[in-house]
Amino acid sequence: MASVKLTKVKKVYDNKVVAVHDFDLDIKDKEFVVFVGPSGCGKSTTLRMIAGLEDISDGTVEIDGEVVNDLQPKDRGIAMVFQNYALYPHMTVYDNIAFSLRLQKVPEDVIYEKVTNAAEILGITDYLLRKPRALSGGQRQRVAIGRAMVRNSKVFLMDEPLSNLDAKLRNQMRAEIILLRQKLDTTFIYVTHDQTEAMTLADRIVIMKDGFIMQVGTPEECFDMPKNLFVAEFIGAPKMNVLKTELIKEGGKYYVKPFGVKIEVDGEKGEKLAKKQAAAGEVILGVRPEHIVLAKEGQTGAIPCVLEVNEMMGSELHLHVYTEDGTRLIVRVPTIDLTAAQRENMVTGHKLFITFEGKVMHFFDPETEKNLLTD
Amino acid sequence: MNETLEKRHMGLKASRTISNTLIYIILIVMSVVWLIPFICIVLQSFRVESTWQVGYVVPQQWGWDNYKALWNSDFKRWYLNTFIIALVVAVLQTVIVLCMSYTLSRFRFKLRDGLMRFMLILGMFPGMLTMIILYRVLKDLGLTQANAVPGLILVYVASSGMGYYVSKGFFDTIPKSLDEAARIDGATRAQVLTKIILPLAKPIVIYTILTAFMGPWGDFVFARYVSFGTSAGMNVAVGMYSWLQLDQIGQKYTMFCAGGVIVAIPVTILFMCLQKYYVEGVTGGAVKG
Amino acid sequence: MKRYSDLEFLKLSKGQKFLYKLQSFFAAIPRAIGRFFLAIGRLFKNIGLGIGREFADIFNTFKEGDWKTRVSFLVMGFGSMARGQVLRGLMFLLFEAVFIFYMVTAGGYWMSMLPSLGKIGPHQEYNAVLDAYTTAYGDNSFKILLYGVLTMFFIVAFIYTWRLNVKQNKIAQEYLRSGRRLKSSGDDLRSLVDEQFYKTLLALPLTGILVFTVMPIVFMILVAFTNYDGSHDGYNNALFGWQGLANFRTMLTWTGGGGVNYSATFGEILTWTLIWAFFATFTNYFLGMFVAMMINKKGIRLKKLWRTILVLTIAIPQFISLLYVSKMFAKNGIVNGLLLNLGWISKAIDFWGSTAHNGLLPRVMVIVINIWIGIPYLMLIATGILMNIPADLYESSRIDGANAWQQYTKITLPYMLFITGPYLLTSFTGNMNNFNVIYLLTGGAPTNAAASGAAGSVGYTDLLVTWLFKITTGAEAQYYLASVVGILVFLVVAVISLVVYNVLPSIKNEEDFQ
Repeated sequence: MASVKLTKVKKVYDNKVVAVHDFDLDIKDKEFVVFVGPSGCGKSTTLRMIAGLEDISDGTVEIDGEVVNDLQPKDRGIAMVFQNYALYPHMTVYDNIAFSLRLQKVPEDVIYEKVTNAAEILGITDYLLRKPRALSGGQRQRVAIGRAMVRNSKVFLMDEPLSNLDAKLRNQMRAEIILLRQKLDTTFIYVTHDQTEAMTLADRIVIMKDGFIMQVGTPEECFDMPKNLFVAEFIGAPKMNVLKTELIKEGGKYYVKPFGVKIEVDGEKGEKLAKKQAAAGEVILGVRPEHIVLAKEGQTGAIPCVLEVNEMMGSELHLHVYTEDGTRLIVRVPTIDLTAAQRENMVTGHKLFITFEGKVMHFFDPETEKNLLTD
Repeated sequence: MNETLEKRHMGLKASRTISNTLIYIILIVMSVVWLIPFICIVLQSFRVESTWQVGYVVPQQWGWDNYKALWNSDFKRWYLNTFIIALVVAVLQTVIVLCMSYTLSRFRFKLRDGLMRFMLILGMFPGMLTMIILYRVLKDLGLTQANAVPGLILVYVASSGMGYYVSKGFFDTIPKSLDEAARIDGATRAQVLTKIILPLAKPIVIYTILTAFMGPWGDFVFARYVSFGTSAGMNVAVGMYSWLQLDQIGQKYTMFCAGGVIVAIPVTILFMCLQKYYVEGVTGGAVKG
Repeated sequence: MKRYSDLEFLKLSKGQKFLYKLQSFFAAIPRAIGRFFLAIGRLFKNIGLGIGREFADIFNTFKEGDWKTRVSFLVMGFGSMARGQVLRGLMFLLFEAVFIFYMVTAGGYWMSMLPSLGKIGPHQEYNAVLDAYTTAYGDNSFKILLYGVLTMFFIVAFIYTWRLNVKQNKIAQEYLRSGRRLKSSGDDLRSLVDEQFYKTLLALPLTGILVFTVMPIVFMILVAFTNYDGSHDGYNNALFGWQGLANFRTMLTWTGGGGVNYSATFGEILTWTLIWAFFATFTNYFLGMFVAMMINKKGIRLKKLWRTILVLTIAIPQFISLLYVSKMFAKNGIVNGLLLNLGWISKAIDFWGSTAHNGLLPRVMVIVINIWIGIPYLMLIATGILMNIPADLYESSRIDGANAWQQYTKITLPYMLFITGPYLLTSFTGNMNNFNVIYLLTGGAPTNAAASGAAGSVGYTDLLVTWLFKITTGAEAQYYLASVVGILVFLVVAVISLVVYNVLPSIKNEEDFQ
């Protein structure tokens, strides 16, 4: 039950490699914050600095208003779940969960109470006398969480806790973490490389790259208003289509001309562009696959293209197409929108037309890769 | 087509039978070659008709004479010396090796790499070289000749920190996240070692104890230096070596065989019981380099 | 030389590829040597710069320090105590007190004698009581050298501690300035089982290594520059003194005909040592691997029995098996006895004494018996590694059409060599110094008449270490020569290790097989 504040936190390794650059973040009490980014972006390092497993080269970490830079991990009031669970192989599940309490010299009857309680919540009561190697991945994960639960810590740290599970189990555990969070009602910091996990779990997402924070915001903000091209491409699956094009200003209105087709930037986006007095010129245009729709030949704004691969996902099709100038795009079409005949036609080499509306477009500066519409 | 196929299959089977037979023959021959010296030792230790080397293996007269002679010689003393040394060294050396290897595996301190490189270089000096000075130092301390036992223990244990490679390699395979989890759970580094790492490192602890225990039974050179001809300070290797020198071999050859049997039995039994751990340590050590 | 791109290289024929690789290897040598010297140069530069920085830092600490810090320059630990870190301060102060006490009472004397290694040797002195001349003993060169070295160690430790004490003051001042709390004595003690636990753990092992390995080695290196031997033992018969490089000159210069030709002897023994190490290492290695593969072959039964029989021989202390085997092959040993009884030979074979062809027979014998000793051990190692080779490598190679021999040369052997590369190196250097096998089997015999003018009696199977041992025993022990030999052995081992480490694939491409 605590806030966590990082001020200008920096990590420099012995070989002068900077893993984390001036990291500033204010995590509110009971907030669920997810650090997300590709491997090597410094997200785990940051988490480990909060935990005290990694020295802080510069800056301060505060937990509950207290600077913890010089504190040992055990004195920081944190609990942590590791990617490979880090269960003690020679101890039973019960002993694993009780380990921290025993170190604190908590009386055995209190330990019994707490451990069985946690086991109850996690549904592992039947396995308390087993050794970790006799458990499945999901069960191990639960034990790891149980071990963290009994510590009554102020901050709950999770380092890629789901990445060793198979896809199905991962979805299930994700839901359980949401439930757990409601029960524990404490501050969570969660590290993952999977944007889906980040989107579904987080109150706020911190997207990182090469040791820098790219964006901090709610899942909606990151999805709707990515601050830069990196965030735009990282959040959302399949990933956003990007292409270089020209932004044209005519009579107070803005147009783009991808593939020789002129499309007006209308709606909210157009208003914003006008308000910012955006200059005409080269821009990077981003369109999410789900915002591209199939068009009829001859329709205004219809872009001709050829189907390369059709991925049938069940509820939707991911169409990989290329346009006349060879640009590859991904289009996401709900299966329900197509007739059976249309679906049968969707084979490699099929010619089709696509289009998209102005209001779904994202614009990025080709130099700085920053979103033209954010401040 | 079918016929040739069949022939091929037949060929495969036949060649396998031939090669397996060949292997069995080789293995049997090898086993004989490897065991013969030990069988000879045992047989000759029961020979009573002569104490000299002879041109046959099976004794003409059997008896316990050689063992009785052992009992009446200084052998008892040597045996006890060696046993005490082996026991103490096994304990102390294990503690030191484990301290060293745990530290080098788990801590990243400023001088760590330098220290490891330094020890690598130290290891390139022939150990023989330091014996002269160590002998003189022990002599000044009064730990030679009749007092050779504590002297030998001191020297064996003191430098044992250099032999950390095998167990460090083993510690390196224990995931570091276990340490980290334990430290978050509130364990100090010392508790991490005693409550997490050591229970997990049982095989290598046993390996270390076993090798430390076996070492002193075979040490010859330094032990000879330190005991310096005083029978009371000798270990079995030094004492029994003298029995095979020209002036004694005529009377003591079969006694040597009997002594060899007595020395080999406990060590071999211990070794056979803990063989599993020994194999683990040896293979791990060689792979880690 | 011309460099090919990857695609060009692929087009070359087998021979051309080999030539190209050879060429590139040799072309890389000058650069490697250059790099080596550059690295050494850099090292010295860094050391120089580091020392400069240290002095600057000490000076700055004094300039910017408060009076507590400044007093600490003389009274160690004063600053720490004044700032409440009593335990630390006391330790510093105690160390200083012990150091000063030692230097005044003993250290100063040893240091002052070190340049001469003693002035008054044993001499005849008139004894008024006995009314006769008796031998009086003077200085003790051995002790002077020994305690001189110890005192130097102590001085270095003191300088380091003093520097630490100065640094502590600086850090403490900075801490207090920025408003952070200093560690209390309790914190210091607690940290010794926690973040500084390594210091606790290393204290004992490193002290042992320092006193019983480093110190003797330093001492013996110094002995190489003296004339310490049986007739100059430093106390009882005569002092010994510094000789400069004279001993190295004796050992390494070619004296041609007359006199004792040390360099020739050394060269001869070194050659045999290297030959021995090569054969001892590789015969064991390949035969051990072969045995392991036989036992592991599918369809061979009683695997455990075969393995146990071999492993049994590891358990039995080497001195028993080696001494016994050595006697088995003696002139009147059981082997000769049996062969004579069977009538296969008419005269006992002198396995250990034959000097024909530079002692070829005994030399072969020690290698063969070493195989007997070594195979079980290698068999164990090879078994462990063979089991770790992923089975799918064999399966895919079988589908690709490889036969057993090809599987061995293309998969098993490269894998084994890769994994055991470092082991082979240590085993090679270990065999160079394999005292036990040689000494217990032959004791270096048979005597090499040609070389035996040199110190000790040199035999055909003598390794450098057994020779070294012989030089140091007996009344004519020439310790200084032994030291020179020891240093040379070190150099040979170091050079071999350095070269091998730099070409070993396991170190260069660590990830290849993982």
